Amino acid sequence: MQKTPDPLWITPANASEVAGALKRASDARQSIVIRGAGTKEDWGRPAGGIDVVLDMRRLNRILAHEHGDMTATIEAGARLRDVNQALAVHGQMLPLDPPFADRATIGGLLATNDSGPLRHRYGTPRDLVIGVQLATTDGVLAKAGGQVVKNVAGYDLSKLVTGSFGSLAAVVSATFKLSPVPAASKTLTMSAADTAALAEIVRIVMASQLEPVAFEITTQRSTQNPLNSQNKTLSANSASSALTVVIRFASLPAVVDAQIAQATTALETCVTSIDAVEGDAERALWDAYATGIWDQPGAVVRASWLPANIAAALDELAGLKPCATSAPPAPAIPGVSPVMSPAAVAQGFSPALTGRAAVGAGLIRIDGETAEQASAIEQLRASSVFGNVVIVRGSAELKARVDVWGSHGSRQPLFDALKRALDPNNVLNAGRGPL
Amino acid sequence: MDRAFLTDLRRIVGDSNVLDDALELLTYECDALPHLRETPAAVALPSSAPQVQEIVRLCARASVPFVARGHGTGLSGGALPVAGGLVIALARLNRVVDVDIPNQRVTVEPGVTNLDITKHVAPFGYYYAPDPSSQQVCSIGGNVAENSGGAHCLKYGFTVHHVLGVEAVLPNGELVQIGGSLADTPGPDLLGLIVGSEGTLAIVTSVTVKILRRPETVQTLLAAFDTIDAGGAVVSDIIGAGIIPAAVEMMDSLAIRAAEAAVHPNFPDADTVLIVELDGPAAEVRALFDTVEQTCRRHGATTIEVAQTDEQRMRIWRGRKAAFAAMGRVSPNYYVQDGVVPRTKLPEVLNRIRALEARSGLRIGNVFHAGDGNLHPLICYDERIPGQSDAAVEVAAEILSYCIDAGGSLTGEHGIGADKSQYMPTMFTPDDLALMQRVRAVFDPHGLCNPGKVFPTPRLCGEVPGPYRRHPVEAAGVAERF
Repeated sequence: MQKTPDPLWITPANASEVAGALKRASDARQSIVIRGAGTKEDWGRPAGGIDVVLDMRRLNRILAHEHGDMTATIEAGARLRDVNQALAVHGQMLPLDPPFADRATIGGLLATNDSGPLRHRYGTPRDLVIGVQLATTDGVLAKAGGQVVKNVAGYDLSKLVTGSFGSLAAVVSATFKLSPVPAASKTLTMSAADTAALAEIVRIVMASQLEPVAFEITTQRSTQNPLNSQNKTLSANSASSALTVVIRFASLPAVVDAQIAQATTALETCVTSIDAVEGDAERALWDAYATGIWDQPGAVVRASWLPANIAAALDELAGLKPCATSAPPAPAIPGVSPVMSPAAVAQGFSPALTGRAAVGAGLIRIDGETAEQASAIEQLRASSVFGNVVIVRGSAELKARVDVWGSHGSRQPLFDALKRALDPNNVLNAGRGPL
Repeated sequence: MDRAFLTDLRRIVGDSNVLDDALELLTYECDALPHLRETPAAVALPSSAPQVQEIVRLCARASVPFVARGHGTGLSGGALPVAGGLVIALARLNRVVDVDIPNQRVTVEPGVTNLDITKHVAPFGYYYAPDPSSQQVCSIGGNVAENSGGAHCLKYGFTVHHVLGVEAVLPNGELVQIGGSLADTPGPDLLGLIVGSEGTLAIVTSVTVKILRRPETVQTLLAAFDTIDAGGAVVSDIIGAGIIPAAVEMMDSLAIRAAEAAVHPNFPDADTVLIVELDGPAAEVRALFDTVEQTCRRHGATTIEVAQTDEQRMRIWRGRKAAFAAMGRVSPNYYVQDGVVPRTKLPEVLNRIRALEARSGLRIGNVFHAGDGNLHPLICYDERIPGQSDAAVEVAAEILSYCIDAGGSLTGEHGIGADKSQYMPTMFTPDDLALMQRVRAVFDPHGLCNPGKVFPTPRLCGEVPGPYRRHPVEAAGVAERF
């Protein structure tokens, strides 16, 4: 985050202080960013000058946990982990497992609509939020939605701020529908010999009546991938040998066992190895899985594909050229070399993908030099297989070369008009986007 | 509306697709909330998105208000025409554009009915989850406008959870693609905003939905209780045990008697019946179903019937789904509301409704989605008795006030529309409503897109909310209320 010499750091203690801070900044035409734990503060475009940081972490209470109704109203600065510890007292949870789950806040999750493997069953924050209290730049506190899971009164503005990255209004608190914590859980990890075999696994699971809570595919090499650490080492640099499918079932213990058995029977002819884990090993597996894509250096992008196109998507990824001749020349950046170093080429170039198999969405890590990353992202955007390619982690140099968000297409005029309507002085989010 | 406008309209959609004859316009005077009526100046029947664009552009140029209409099954007057305005009827945008089984996505035009989506994918073992009881006739475009639910939304969510993308015509005539087959369109969730905006932000011309694999097993039971409190306690205990049934429905004695008279589902003569349906993997349903049965017995169920066959299951659902229309068997007129309360407040609010019933002298049948606290009180009256229509309206308003007092909502699935817009200030502050209006103005700065809905406006003479009368479609037996 690029800061002006001394951004004013405000830690509001209540909703009206949030609204007041937004109004003061807007009136004074000061650039203001809303911040939770800062786990994603480098997402979006490089920040312009920041005059005020609105640190939401003092707003960290669970305002209500109506366990009989399975809803909770939570302040924006509360950490997901703390929230889920409190909800667990009544056997309930907010079923989200995003990256940085130990620190991520409720407000940040809504702002980025971030999620993890549990998305397969439970969706993203936008699917779980049922009400919201917002503070707008005119200093007004307004709510939308409500406290009940079923409600269609008025516009659902909780959706509008979801994915807005704090560029329209501040989320002060939000109400969510909750889920019961399942009694038992087990996870199957499988290796596929090649992309065709992996695609077949995806096809079989999607067409089956299995009901997993998570269904993941990852290309991370097992030497770098703790998932497979107990398994064999990998042969050479073959990208295909690192294809892993991870399926998690959670329900009553006997049901989990039945589902694991059913899945194993259905899939064993497609896999080169299959293992079931539970308990501490399972928790360790998922903890490692959550950080896997982030632990290695490189740019990280969000991307989507059609689930049945997974083989083509992975082949496309494997075929990315370090520098595409077809890519438009990158704009010259002072101090940035437009050509990749020979060392980078020698190290190899191996993008990795981790994602939700049946949703068709995930994260791609692109290693290499800035020019290679930029080229790879342009290639992904030009491909017919991938869509909605958005840079999340990337150097300032990369983000200067390739737009973080890509084209908003026909939605751009609406985005512009929404921004003018809700943030007329353009003070929110320091130009990081998406609007 | 001047002649030039009509000439332009005919040029866009063809002579036969513009209706302005008084008799032809009758059909479009109301939706399934027939006490609110207004005659539009004309109706246009486009058959493509470009035609919708041209029509909307024409309206924008001429400042003619327009109202999109699907199949007219809405229960809140969302498709009520504007006097002197245009109705854009989307029934001819009824093509199934793409059925993609491997990716579990279907793209249809807005005039395709809800159930038709399921019919297209059922041979492959899939279905479209949201199931409003009008699903045989209601359009998917209307479902998007209202964010329709149904009996199974407790577990599976509402329309907003199943729509992946829409193509829509904005009030300035621009075509915008929001979401689509690919997940994670960057930026604010405009799709979630448009779904449920009751046709006030845009006219949807194409909808991509996800379809679900049929669950391995479905199990349904019908349990009878002597008190509504006992039924409510069962629901609380089931949810408290961490079970999310596919559906949990309750009916009280008046609703039971009405259903029995109408479709003979063979329901027990009880104070309350509870329908619980579980679906999912066979092992899970088996185990949880035992818990549900035991819970019913523990709270004194007088009878428990477990559906052993699909036919039995369908019969139970027929009784439940017929409950609204069946009210016609026990009362000359009735008025249905759609308030929501937190599930745990159900017994308290139902007891208030029963006290109100005694006080008002009007019988009130109760049919509700107990799992999510969505009430459908059916207020019985006889419009031939002076004052009863007004009394029914007052009773309905009072029930909505109970819902708001309990921390609930004015509407769970029928929408605010023209029917309940005047109650919005009981649920939202002026600041809340002003922010929503700001968003509305982003899409529709000139207030031409379904004006007079959702937000409170000064009412015109004669435009009052009122009790239910049978819609011609319903009278013909092709639709029911839920």
